Amino acid sequence: MTTQAINTAAPSTRGMSPRQRTWRRFFSSPAGYISLGTLAVFALIGIFGPMIVPYPSGLGTDILQPPTAAHPFGTDGLGLDVLAQVVWGTRMSLLVALFAGLLAVAIGAFLGIVAAYFKKADAVITTITDVMLSLPLLPLMIVVTAMVGPSIVTLTLVIGFFSWPEICRLIRSNALVVSGMPFIDGARAIGASPLRIMLKEILPMVSPLLIVNALLTGARAVIAEAGLSFLGLGDPDTWSWGRILQSAQRDGVLVSAWWQTLFPSLMILLLVLSATIVGMRFNDSRAVKVKGALK
Amino acid sequence: MTRYVVSRVGRAVLAVWIAVTITFFLLRLLPGGPTTLMLDGVNDPALEAKLLADYGLDQPLITQYGLFLWQLIQGNLGTSFYSQSPVAEVLFDRMPWTLLLAGSAFLITLVVGIPLGVAAAVKRDGLPDQALRFFGMAGQAMFVPSLAVLLLAVFALKLGWFPIGGAVSSFVEGPQYVASVISHLILPLLSLVFINIGPYALTVRTNMLQVLGADYVRSARARGLSSQAVIWNHGLRNAVIPAVTLMGLQLGTLVGGAVLTETVFAYPGIGSLIYEAVGRQDFPILQGAFILLAITVVLANLLTDLVCLLLDPKLRTGNRA
Repeated sequence: MTTQAINTAAPSTRGMSPRQRTWRRFFSSPAGYISLGTLAVFALIGIFGPMIVPYPSGLGTDILQPPTAAHPFGTDGLGLDVLAQVVWGTRMSLLVALFAGLLAVAIGAFLGIVAAYFKKADAVITTITDVMLSLPLLPLMIVVTAMVGPSIVTLTLVIGFFSWPEICRLIRSNALVVSGMPFIDGARAIGASPLRIMLKEILPMVSPLLIVNALLTGARAVIAEAGLSFLGLGDPDTWSWGRILQSAQRDGVLVSAWWQTLFPSLMILLLVLSATIVGMRFNDSRAVKVKGALK
Repeated sequence: MTRYVVSRVGRAVLAVWIAVTITFFLLRLLPGGPTTLMLDGVNDPALEAKLLADYGLDQPLITQYGLFLWQLIQGNLGTSFYSQSPVAEVLFDRMPWTLLLAGSAFLITLVVGIPLGVAAAVKRDGLPDQALRFFGMAGQAMFVPSLAVLLLAVFALKLGWFPIGGAVSSFVEGPQYVASVISHLILPLLSLVFINIGPYALTVRTNMLQVLGADYVRSARARGLSSQAVIWNHGLRNAVIPAVTLMGLQLGTLVGGAVLTETVFAYPGIGSLIYEAVGRQDFPILQGAFILLAITVVLANLLTDLVCLLLDPKLRTGNRA
């Protein structure tokens, strides 16, 4: 009875679910359409591009050609089409971003919630998180990738395994707020197990954060993958944006063959920028108790 | 205060220990163990046994670990696969350049970033604020080598204002040496500062906004102090200390950026050494470079925190409310 009365007394929601309201706010300015649209275009290129464009391999005759009608993005030092490399690189970068992002979010969320719920684990997890955050991660990822041997799987695992600390810190601070809420005490009072409380009560409360930070971590993973590939630690059997830059660096033509640098650089910039904007806008569009995104 | 210093130093030691331990066990946990890397496909059981004995790899893991730590404390980081010279020697040859590059980037980001963040916070949603928000986002989305190449193309090749690479011209002495070092430093430095300053100034802005909303700032205003006095005496003083600490936390990212920047500019520091070592599969160098950079970052972080301790009376008395 009372809940119905409250609902009818608050006409501002107009029967919209919180999710609908979030998306309405998200699309309230062109930035919402443009950023999400850009991400969609990247996804389309990554999924369908390699079906249309042949894999760049072997040797071509037109070496280091600036952009022409035949090669809109020019060719590299082996005469390979840079456009094809960029298209195949899109798939690679998206795959790494997706799986490394998911891995980092899974580890970060798990440790963050455990730290917030079990006071004894908190000190250990917080200390490790702080230490990880204070170490130079790129050199660490370089050592590990070089020793394990570069491949798309290595890159994904290494980036994922070293990207969780910031998520862990964020989830922990939000889960701390949630675990102090009365309904958690209620759940404990009716005999719910800690596992159940963490999975069914705390996790759903922080899960919107996970979506946002998976996006932002994915964006960072793109940059990390590009950095490792640029230093020569990319998968030698797959093209990636960083590897295009690496082959230009190796040939000493980073500046003179500008097309080899410009196009992959633009792809990185656009993808990271649009993923960041989507993540931030989604975060700002929600009106719920827990909020936060990586800076 | 002593307690704070002790616990802070303890955390620094812990950080270095974790960094060192990660690399040790990684190398040992690899399929085939470390000799696989050194033998590089050569099948020679006698040689492998000799290598195992030479490096103490026939000992139990825990003994090896103790030995490794002991060697490390003595500054022994092993021998480079490529040049056969001690890793520590190779690293210390290169280290001054990285310290110069990353250190000056650190200082400039701090000195320029704080006023930038304060200016944005004081005039919220004003032009500097909006510019900073855009700049901060762009800085995070920019891939360091992309920016470095752009600067190289425009300012070194097109305009010819700066040299295209290296750290110093040969055969120069005295004041010319200094001038040469500076002109070689500017472009790599700009790439690093540009990437780091936006996100940093944004954090300063957030801090400053929080401080400006605090009760003591409101009461200072109510006492009739001019807004300049409030901003500089009450706001900035309380926002600066967390801002300096934050810069310490950003050091790891800054060093990562330095590795990439050095590679583009062929700047002869640890970063380009890492790039060369990747190409030569020189694992001891990679491991040593990471350990050295980790120690440097942790020490710099510790130093930053101790400086803040001197600046902040709240920390000195131990009441960290």
